[in-house]
Amino acid sequence: MRVFTAVIAIAAGILILGGYFLQGLFPALADVQTLLLNWAIILVGAATLVGIFNLISVHTDKVRRREKGSTYSAILVICLVVTLLLGMILRPDHSAMEIVMNGIILPSEAALMGLLTISLLYAAIRLLRRRTDLMSIIFLITAAFLIFSFATLPFANIPALGTVGRWVTQVLALGGARGILIGVALGTLTTGLRVLFGADRPYGGN
Amino acid sequence: MVISADLITGILSFLFTLLILSYLIGDNPLFRIAIYIFVGASSGYIASVAWWQVIWPRLVSPLMFGSMLEKGLLLIPLIGSILIFMKVSPRLAGMGRIAMAYIVGVGAAVTIAGALSGTLMPQVMGTINAFDLVAAAGRNIEAVEVVFNGALILAGTVFTLIYFHFGARPQADGSMKRFRLIEILSWGGHIFIGITLGAIFAGVYAAALTALIERIASLINFIGNFL
Repeated sequence: MRVFTAVIAIAAGILILGGYFLQGLFPALADVQTLLLNWAIILVGAATLVGIFNLISVHTDKVRRREKGSTYSAILVICLVVTLLLGMILRPDHSAMEIVMNGIILPSEAALMGLLTISLLYAAIRLLRRRTDLMSIIFLITAAFLIFSFATLPFANIPALGTVGRWVTQVLALGGARGILIGVALGTLTTGLRVLFGADRPYGGN
Repeated sequence: MVISADLITGILSFLFTLLILSYLIGDNPLFRIAIYIFVGASSGYIASVAWWQVIWPRLVSPLMFGSMLEKGLLLIPLIGSILIFMKVSPRLAGMGRIAMAYIVGVGAAVTIAGALSGTLMPQVMGTINAFDLVAAAGRNIEAVEVVFNGALILAGTVFTLIYFHFGARPQADGSMKRFRLIEILSWGGHIFIGITLGAIFAGVYAAALTALIERIASLINFIGNFL
């Protein structure tokens, strides 16, 4: 089984990569790639449903065992099942599902994002109190400066602030961001290649 | 009396905004109820979208109404989906590894292609193009400014990459130490990373502040409609 799963992962990966980089030499690889990607999309969809069933199962178990917080788990399961049934019967573009999306999901996401304002401010203050090194000071000065340089100030508008702020983001921050992005891409590349060489088997093949 | 969908949406939106913002006075049961409802509703919504926009049009519908060739080609993802659903049962979960291996293999290949053509090459080209004097002249930017800014961007990129180089050599006293040059350049990387993370923090903070202002405005507008 271990060899079989590794062969499947490596073969699927190589064929997909071939479709990206060798379709000029072998045009048929593009069709194979499309077919394999379509299969993968279907399997990811099925895996999403399994994930949701797992969520239901975990919280149902909590309710059954009357664990701490089981009332919240019961609320979660009821809401999940009701939304799922509505979505399955009426389809996601039905007006009832739009109410769920515009009345519950989007306002909650926006409000949670809003809460981040307070959390980030608190984290920044804690950082200054707990770790006062060069990195923290540069980090906080840059953040504070950029927030003030791009904000519409009620008392005065200082054009030089905006110009310096743009230079900081478009030159200094861009250089660092490029380094981080290239580092992340190199790490991703290495991880992907390790999977394709069979050195890493995160699908349970040891 | 018929209640309009807009009114229900408005009431729900008002209620959930209020419940979630109640976290500002501390963790409380109302906040938790709102969060659990949010997670439940989102999961149910995602599941229905996964069914109606992926499983039904790409698998079930072609299997029921497609040609023989389509049906034949879809037998593999059908078996794969059944194997994935076996992961629900602890006894049969091992069978799901076959389908998971396929997903991981495809994911790895897509990630490699994406990292190469979507991040690595564009970022390297962007760093090189920062020195493009012809393009800069077209935008009335002086050559000195282009070279200075390009050099700073290049230095930021290289120093940041060097900061993440952790190769070290053993010293006579047994301790591990990086090369002196690497140490100096990584100190420069330290500064660039601090500036970059500060800029990202400022961007995220501005977005969060905008969301908070929008939510507070929606609360005020909702109350205002009834006054």
